[in-house]
Amino acid sequence: MVKDKEIQGYRQQPGKLPFSKPGSGGKNSFSKPINLENIPVSQNGIKDQPWGPHRHDSLISGQVIGKSTALVDSAWKVTGQAQYGDDVRLPNELIGRIVRSPHHYAKILSIDCSKALDLPGVVAIATGNDAKNKFGVLPVTKDEHAMAVEKVRHAGDLIACIAAENENIAREAERLIQIEYEILESIHDIKEGLEDSEYPIHDRGQYHIGNSNIQKRVFQEFGNISSLEKNTVVSHQSNWTFAGVNHGFTEPHAVVANWSPDGRLTLYTPQQVPHYVHRSLADVLEIPMHQINVHRTFVGGGFGGKSDPFPHEMCAAILARKSGRPVRITFDREEVFWVNRGRHPSKIEMNLHADSIGRICGIETDALIDGGSFASFGHVTTYYNGVLHTAPYEIGAFHYTGARVWTNKPASGAMRGHGAVNSRCAVEVGLDDLAEKLEVDPITLRLANLLPPHSATITGFRVTSIGMRECLERVKEESGWSDKFRKMPLGKGIGIGCGFFISGSGLPIHWDPNKFPHATVHLKIDMDGGVTIHTGAAEIGQGSDTVVSQSVAEVLGLPLDMIRIRSRESDTSPVDLGSYSSRVTFMNANAAISAAMKIRDELIKAASDITGASEEVLVIGDRRIFDKNNPAIGVSYLEALHKSQEERGALISSGAYRTPPMGKTHKGAAAGLAPAYSFSAYVAEVSVDVETGKTIVDKVWAAHDCGKALNPLAVNGQIIGSCHMGLGQVLSEEMRYGRTGHLMNPDFLDYKIPSIHEMPEVIPIIIESNDPEGPFGAKEAGEGPLLPILPAVCNAVYDAIGVRTEDLPITSEKVFKLVEKKCREQGVSSPLDLKPPRLEFSDLQDTLEKRADLHSTRDIERRLDSSREEYYNGAIFGFDPTKSPEEVDENWSVRVIPNDDYLHSPRLAGSAWKHIERRKMGD
Amino acid sequence: MVEFRLPMLPQPGELVWSVNINGTEVKLNIESNAILLDVLRDQAGSLGTKRGCDMGTCGCCSVLVDGEPRLSCLTLAADMNGREITTVEGLANGHQLLSQNNNPTNEEIKTAIEGNLCRCTGFQQIVDSIRAASDIIRENNDIEDSTSAKSDPHPGFMEGN
Ligand code: FES
Repeated sequence: MVKDKEIQGYRQQPGKLPFSKPGSGGKNSFSKPINLENIPVSQNGIKDQPWGPHRHDSLISGQVIGKSTALVDSAWKVTGQAQYGDDVRLPNELIGRIVRSPHHYAKILSIDCSKALDLPGVVAIATGNDAKNKFGVLPVTKDEHAMAVEKVRHAGDLIACIAAENENIAREAERLIQIEYEILESIHDIKEGLEDSEYPIHDRGQYHIGNSNIQKRVFQEFGNISSLEKNTVVSHQSNWTFAGVNHGFTEPHAVVANWSPDGRLTLYTPQQVPHYVHRSLADVLEIPMHQINVHRTFVGGGFGGKSDPFPHEMCAAILARKSGRPVRITFDREEVFWVNRGRHPSKIEMNLHADSIGRICGIETDALIDGGSFASFGHVTTYYNGVLHTAPYEIGAFHYTGARVWTNKPASGAMRGHGAVNSRCAVEVGLDDLAEKLEVDPITLRLANLLPPHSATITGFRVTSIGMRECLERVKEESGWSDKFRKMPLGKGIGIGCGFFISGSGLPIHWDPNKFPHATVHLKIDMDGGVTIHTGAAEIGQGSDTVVSQSVAEVLGLPLDMIRIRSRESDTSPVDLGSYSSRVTFMNANAAISAAMKIRDELIKAASDITGASEEVLVIGDRRIFDKNNPAIGVSYLEALHKSQEERGALISSGAYRTPPMGKTHKGAAAGLAPAYSFSAYVAEVSVDVETGKTIVDKVWAAHDCGKALNPLAVNGQIIGSCHMGLGQVLSEEMRYGRTGHLMNPDFLDYKIPSIHEMPEVIPIIIESNDPEGPFGAKEAGEGPLLPILPAVCNAVYDAIGVRTEDLPITSEKVFKLVEKKCREQGVSSPLDLKPPRLEFSDLQDTLEKRADLHSTRDIERRLDSSREEYYNGAIFGFDPTKSPEEVDENWSVRVIPNDDYLHSPRLAGSAWKHIERRKMGD
Repeated sequence: MVEFRLPMLPQPGELVWSVNINGTEVKLNIESNAILLDVLRDQAGSLGTKRGCDMGTCGCCSVLVDGEPRLSCLTLAADMNGREITTVEGLANGHQLLSQNNNPTNEEIKTAIEGNLCRCTGFQQIVDSIRAASDIIRENNDIEDSTSAKSDPHPGFMEGN
């Protein structure tokens, strides 16, 4: 029996402390001694730190960080108790229904709602006239209305909304609304968007680009462009077509709006970014933000698809205001496709160049992306298609032209891996081809061209921790790469792909980063000892509630069951930018740590006051604060808490995070800037049936550098889930548009998400590069892991049958056409006689291996040396690594506007620059 | 409650529907053309039964009818009169899913859940958790009662514990 043992401690009586403190009692009535295996060597523990110490080491109490932890909200979900959007049922609710356009592009001449309003059971109807203010994701591209004003821009665009007693009545009312249209000529082809048009889909006034449908254009030129031709010995050139894909989250959009008797609005919505909705509602309803409480419900998957402020959210609020009753709107699956915001259909031209010693002397990318009918996050997407492939490799020159055009399709937007996925696929497949042409192993080629840790990319991104090399080495070894690559029989292949992604966006979209933090977390602890966390970080299933709870629990030495998190309501949570750009773990856990440190300091001071031990020797262990040299001297957590409450009651603290100043100053320099970046490398093994073109992915080795896995269970989940989603895009998923521009497959029967039978075994491999600024070293794991799977599969298909695809998804038909072509080339009549590709390494292989070894030593030195010097991209080409090359070489280009030379023969997206912005047209 | 009926359209009939939901006898007036999913969510209060696609492709709406899995979005409620329905809320201890085979192979698990689309996990973890559940059942392990006492914030100290 525990009770019989003697308890020692500060003025402690034998046996369990007898006085009953409010809040005491419960399980595990003895503090667990510190387990040194959890404590890093920097703190005299025995946990190895191959990547060096971390600024948060002294906060490790050994409670939860780094341990696989079931998500704190999982019990609600598995018992069916979690309330998602449509599960919010308020008394006296009305059912809202959206009236949608049947036309791709049309002027609305008139809307007659009188008959519908006469229908018994119809309570309110609203149209575009009820709310004319625009809203949108970015302050510079507010181009959406609650409902169409003047014209509809895509089939499915909102025209009116109805609140009725039940769905049947709402549907009947929809039939009774009479709308007159004047149909306009719609555009569907992405290339047409580049041309002048009689009725551009939007009018951006003086900022409009010519008379075209170009929403955004980007030109970037960095590095040694002028000697590219001279240095290049092999090149890769490809023209990719990527179909649009949809997030396919499980929960269709749903929203409930309710105005309380005091005239305040509560909006219940499964949002990734409640704060944008908050702002937009204020704009549209013309009320101040403090009059609105945005209540994020459980989110049944978002993946970027629930991060825009949506028109239907405005509609629910408008209908509820008009009717004086709660209004619930739920989409069916088809409507989800009409709203879309999925990955952009894209045309990407990718040119890669390597020099005689296997350095990547140039990347030239041209990306034309189809934004559909609204801007959404489009500005950012247009940049991301270029700038997010300026790492992990050191490059000699980077030339990027990008354009996003409007077409009369449902809007594209942000989707997991935002803007980076398609061009990353093109780059990684291109590298495979370069390796082939250089006759070297594609993994060695990568290993010999990596940026070192703590360096700057060619576009000036500050990169801190890099675990890319370790990712590559691990997947190479574990997949048995050397025995398989270019050695397997026809139809069996293996391929490599890498990824690089932002861990949080450096610039908040809506405010100056110096004026307001990126993330804020509040803590409140009262005499019961439980810790309440208030955060606006949106738990969308990724585990943000868990990771923020873990961070607080770790610093305060508490088990997770003493932490409760309130992250749902804007009334109680500090403003947060929401769950996008893989920012939450990095920014919110950092804010949570800093809030917890303040409480920790107070507890330690109180413990010092009670025990007389100095604050310097006191440490926090399992629910107890004690002298690290003599653990018997100490107090329980509750005692310290009550002591510090004596004069002031509940302890409250606030912690905030903001990114450090970084990056360059050219136009667009902020896009892609992040406080840290994640890295990943995957190897995929595939079987391709040469007679049908069908590709099956057999196995994937997936290494991801997330800095530090705060919750390895969740990180592995993100890796495997990312593989699944990426496999969908590479193998089968595609929003298909018919000849007249209609979306042919807005449902899960024809939009093919891989089922369990298409899902290969995935071996997740976590690499922990210990980011200096990440919370306990952590970086993102939610989006980056998606990137490498696409090129890994494409490269494996080449290894299996010798054909390169440039068109995703790689359906059987497409692959088989390529097989037929290959048969003609090889002069064989049966695909079974095709010769799979083989590769004899050239002498360069040896050179690259040596360079990779040298770089490996360099990288380990750099990551451990805190007084390291600067390292700018360009050093591999002979520049002084400590100076930005443009400072020493006048030929080193930094340009963001094309010159006349370029405009004489621009590439596809680059031709967007032929138009003149209206305000510059003169007169 | 006021009845709102559509004037022009032919109306569905009404019927008395008595079923057993998660062990409780339930009697409801339902429309003769009502879909089981809607009745469960809107009338019987089983909001754990979800609607993901409405056409039998996602599996969110699965329930057990007399122990057999069934997509409630493709089921006419009237046809279920007198049957036993188990929703996710009634599955708290997971016994029924593994009732016929408490030691399934991976292939058997995959086949059993092939009608469910999952966009988060990539399925691997679902298979793992079904495996874990089957272990619990076979080994007759107890699951911790979620209402049992949580941690004591006022623990004592003991050398070496
Ligand atoms: S709702 Fe998708 S299968 Fe029933």
